[in-house]
Formats: sequence, C-alpha cells, structure tokens
Amino acid sequence: MWNEVGESLRLSMTKMLDQFASLLPGVLALIAALVISAVIAWAFSAILRRSLTGLDFDRRVKQWGFTGLCEWSPGSSPTLLVTRAIAWIIVFVGFLVGVSAFDGALPSQLVNRVFNYLPNVLAAIVVLVAGNIIARFLARSVLIGGVNMHLQYARLLSVGVHWLVTVLAVTIAIEHLGIGGGIIRLAFGILFGGIVLALALAVGLGSKELVSRSLEREASRVSTPSEKEPVGHL
Amino acid sequence: MELDTISQPELEELERVGSADVVIGILDGDSPAGAGGGDGLEATAEARTREALAEFSNPLRAAIVSNNGTHAPAGAEAAGSAPSPVVFSCSLPAHVPGETSQQGIFNAYRKVFAVGGKLGARACGLIASPPRESSCEWIYRLIQPVLNLGFDLVAPCYTRQSMEGLLNRSVLAPLHRALYGEQLQNPMGPDFGVSAKLLQQILRQDSARRRGTDGTTLASIAVSAAFGGCQVCESQLGVRRQRPTDWGNLSSLLAEILGDVFVEMEGRAAFWQSIRGSRALPRFGPPETAPTDAASTPSLDVQGMRESFQLGTQSLQDVWGLILPPTSLLELRRMSRLSKDQFRFPDQTWARVVYDFALGHRLRTISRDHLLRSFTPLYLGWIASYALEIEGAGVTGADAPNENLSKAFEENKSYLVSRWRWPDRFNP
Repeated sequence: MWNEVGESLRLSMTKMLDQFASLLPGVLALIAALVISAVIAWAFSAILRRSLTGLDFDRRVKQWGFTGLCEWSPGSSPTLLVTRAIAWIIVFVGFLVGVSAFDGALPSQLVNRVFNYLPNVLAAIVVLVAGNIIARFLARSVLIGGVNMHLQYARLLSVGVHWLVTVLAVTIAIEHLGIGGGIIRLAFGILFGGIVLALALAVGLGSKELVSRSLEREASRVSTPSEKEPVGHL
Repeated sequence: MELDTISQPELEELERVGSADVVIGILDGDSPAGAGGGDGLEATAEARTREALAEFSNPLRAAIVSNNGTHAPAGAEAAGSAPSPVVFSCSLPAHVPGETSQQGIFNAYRKVFAVGGKLGARACGLIASPPRESSCEWIYRLIQPVLNLGFDLVAPCYTRQSMEGLLNRSVLAPLHRALYGEQLQNPMGPDFGVSAKLLQQILRQDSARRRGTDGTTLASIAVSAAFGGCQVCESQLGVRRQRPTDWGNLSSLLAEILGDVFVEMEGRAAFWQSIRGSRALPRFGPPETAPTDAASTPSLDVQGMRESFQLGTQSLQDVWGLILPPTSLLELRRMSRLSKDQFRFPDQTWARVVYDFALGHRLRTISRDHLLRSFTPLYLGWIASYALEIEGAGVTGADAPNENLSKAFEENKSYLVSRWRWPDRFNP
C-alpha cells in the first residue's frame, strides 16, 4: 500500500514538474519578449526624442495651440510625453507577444481580444484629436467673428462652442471604446441639452439687456458710417 | 498668351481686326445697365473712349472691353459723322458667383490684357472706379504717359478727403513704398494705364501662376512693374466717387485685400529684401482741389472704433499672441488703457504690427483667414487714432499727410527682414 502511495506522489510530482517545465519556455519567452521590447522601446524613444527635439516639437505644439498638452506632459515637455507613450506601447506589445507564447487557450483569447479592441482605441484617439482640432478652429472662428461684430460676450460664445464640440467628440470616443453603453448616450443627451438650455436661458433671460445693448450698438454702428460718407478704405 | 477669357466669335473678330493702338477697359459696370453709368452719365463706353482719343494729335485705333452692356457695336456711328476710332468692342461675362470683388476686377483686367496682347496694343487703359463726368479725361490721363512719354505703368493719384483711402494710407501705400521703393498713392489702383511691355509681363506671370495654386491678383500689377524694372508714374485723376462703405463686412474686405498683398509679398521676398529706401515718382496732370463743403466732412464713430480695439485687445490676446511678439502685445495693452485724448497708435508700432501679420501669414502660424480677420480691431484702432490725430491737427478736407507713417515703415524694414529670415531666432 505504502508503495502505491509513494508511486502516486511520485507521479503527481512528475506531472507537476512536467507542467512547470512546460510553462518555463513560455515564461522565458515572456521575459525575453519584455527585455527585447524594452530595448527596442528605449532605442526607438531615444531616436524619436532626438528627432522631435531637432524639430523643436515642444515650441511647435505650443504654436499650434495645444497648450493643454504641455500642461499634462511630464516636465511640461510634449516631446517627453510622446516618447514615453510610444515606449510604453512598444513594451505593451512585447508583453502581448510574450503572453501569446504561453501554450493555452486563455492567453490566446486575451491577446485576440486586445488586438480586436485596438482598432476601437485607435478610432477613439483619432476622434479625440480631430474633435480637439475642430473645437479649437470653431472656437477661434466664433471668437474672431464675435469680436469683429463687437459682441462683448464673444469669448463666452467661443468657450461654449469649444466645450460643445469637445463633449461631442469625447462622447463619440467613449462610444467607440464601448464603455458605458446607454448611460453615456443618456449622459451626453443631458449634458448637451443642459449646455444648450443654459446658453438659451443665459441669452434669453440673464443676458437679455446685455445682448440687446450689444445688438443695438451693432445696428447703430453698421448704419451710422454709411450716412457719414465720404469714408472709404481703398 | 492667355486667351481662354476670349470667346471663339470674339477671337475671330479680333483676327479680322488685326491690330489696335490702345485697348480701353471700362469696368465700372456695377451701375445699372443702360443707365450709362448712373448719375445722369449718358456717355457710353465708346463715346467716352472716342472723346478721350480725340485729344491725341495722331489718330488711334482702339478696342473697348466693357461690362456695362451699354455700348453700341464697334464702329457704329451716326451717318455723316467722322469714322469711329473704335475697331473692336466686347462685353464681359456676368459676375461669377463666389468670386471676390478684387478677383472679379482682375479677371476683367485679364480679358482686357488678352485683347491687348492679341491686337498688339501699345497701351491699355483700365477704369474700374465708379463713373464720373470726367471719365474720358481719366482715359486720356492714364494712356497718354504710356503712348507719348514711354512709361510702362500709370498709377492713379486721386484727390482724397481726409477719411478716404484709409487702407491705402495705413497699409497699402506705406508697405509698397517700404518693400518695393516706389512712392505710390494707390498701389492697387484700381485705375491703371499699362504699356505693351508690362502687359506681356503680367500675361506671362498670370499664365505661369494659373498652373500653380496662386492666381494673379490686383496687387500684382504695381509689384510686377517694380520687379520688371518698368518705368512707373502717377497721373492726377481728381476726385473719385466712393462706393458705400460696408462696415459690417470690413473683416472680409481686409482678408481679401491683405491676403493678396501678403501672398504677393511672399512671392517676391528675394526681390524686396534687396531694396533700400524709396523714390518719388513723376506725377502728371493738374491737381484737383478737394471739395470742402461741410456735408462731406466725415464724423466717424471714433469712440466705437476705440471700443472695438479695446475689445480685441481683451479677447484676442491668445490669437495675437501667436502672431505678435511680446513687446507689441504689451504696447497694444498699454494703448487700450489710454483715454480718448491720449489715444494714439504710434507709427512704429503700427508698422511692426503690419509686418508681424505679414510674417504670420507667411508662416501660417494660424489659419490665414483667422489671421487676416483678427487684424480688423487693430485697423479700427488705427482709424480711430488717425481720426483723432487729424482732428487735433485741424486738418480738414485735404489729403492729410502720412509721410511719417511711410517713413516708419521704411525704418522698420530691417525688423521685417530679420524676422522674415530668422523667424525663430529674432523674436523681440
């Protein structure tokens, strides 16, 4: 009997060691993938940092008007932010490659799901970037147009337009990521409707006199000079 | 040769005519058709041309391009009268939707130039100002220096009220003088006399540019003359009727005109960077005295313009901060706090602001349309300052001097050249 017990223990030990031994290549492959990806990430980020510094990327980002990006960046340097982001993406891809080296259904499914999800993440990033650019462009157009129309609240309008477009872009991006589902749509409807209603109330009630004074001044400005010719620009 | 603006029947007619000495473009057609230019002006384009050509001692053959649709077929005259000098006439197509007014004028000019090139004309007279009783004199004064004195470009010199030609006074004339070294009152006309040499030069340039992205514009004519080493003079044309000022659309006007000027400036950068100083140009014709009746003395809403400037200074700091250096921004902020009595736009600051906008346009720091439209509050600030200045100096009715401003543009040209060459390194 003791012989049978000893045999069972030996078999289970052998089985466990076999299984551990079968995992070992996967673990080693994971470590190797992480080390290689870290080296690639380090080399790539060094090259990228040098190129971006050469292109004066930090100053250009400020010049393009992405001042918010500068504030978020480590050391207020968008170059650092971009290079670190790229490096971590490379390390993450290396990790996924390493995980897929494990011989098993679960890691494969995880990797498949991550790779299937990647297009959504990319689409969300594109939507956010495009939304930000459009929001800035429209906000600036409204601001300049408002100032040229002598509207005292041009800045308020501009900020309103900027937030409307930004909220819209963020909602689309979140929907692409598949987070929240119906709640996001509902929240967006409430938020968007709330902003529009607030603006309408502000213009209709709170700023009624301000708006009427501004519009009166605008109307009188447009009509007055034409009666006071000769004034000409060319 | 750019002949795509001439229709096939017109081309056949031009072949039949062969040649002409002058081509006259009467492009004042925004007056009602059939009214002969409105305001009781009954003379047609052909009659005006005939009257102008009668002042020359030798007979001249003329072609007319008109857009008022009132002229009779070429050569039509009353029985028994002298043969008409007009050998060819055609009218322009209707205004193209979406075309700006300046581009519309130049497209009309293009047709005149194409007809002139085809007929081998020695001179082209172009009139785009609203018609006056003296339009025939204008034709004579614009083509006579070309035909008799050998000039290549005759630019207009109008008798102006103190508040007329404000964009010319503030930007166009001083900028042209500083960049290209020629003291012109109206570098963008719109009334010009052009020689065959300059005509061919403009047609060649237009043909080349139309293959690219930028078209030739009204701003190109005087610049082409300067660039080509042409002989340029001015002709006194007297009082010019002003079209009503559309103050509500001022930013579009500024964007259109300054956009063309800055594009031209960018294309000729190597040329103007080598020019130092400026020279006065010969001016022909008797000067006309400006009417000084009280009704024509303008009283602008200076306070409103100052408020526009102040609003711009408060709200557009983010936009201007991308175009103007910190010293200019500080100066503008200081100005916005001045009282009405003290409010002045210093000539040096104004010159640098204009140069900085030209540079911003070239660098595409922000959308070009945004950049040009954000110039409007600054321009209104300059007008307010100018109105207060001439009011304080007691200048009325006359062509107020802007020599100091032109000199400021010339003095600050080195600033422009430095920033143009090293926009990153030279940022005071």
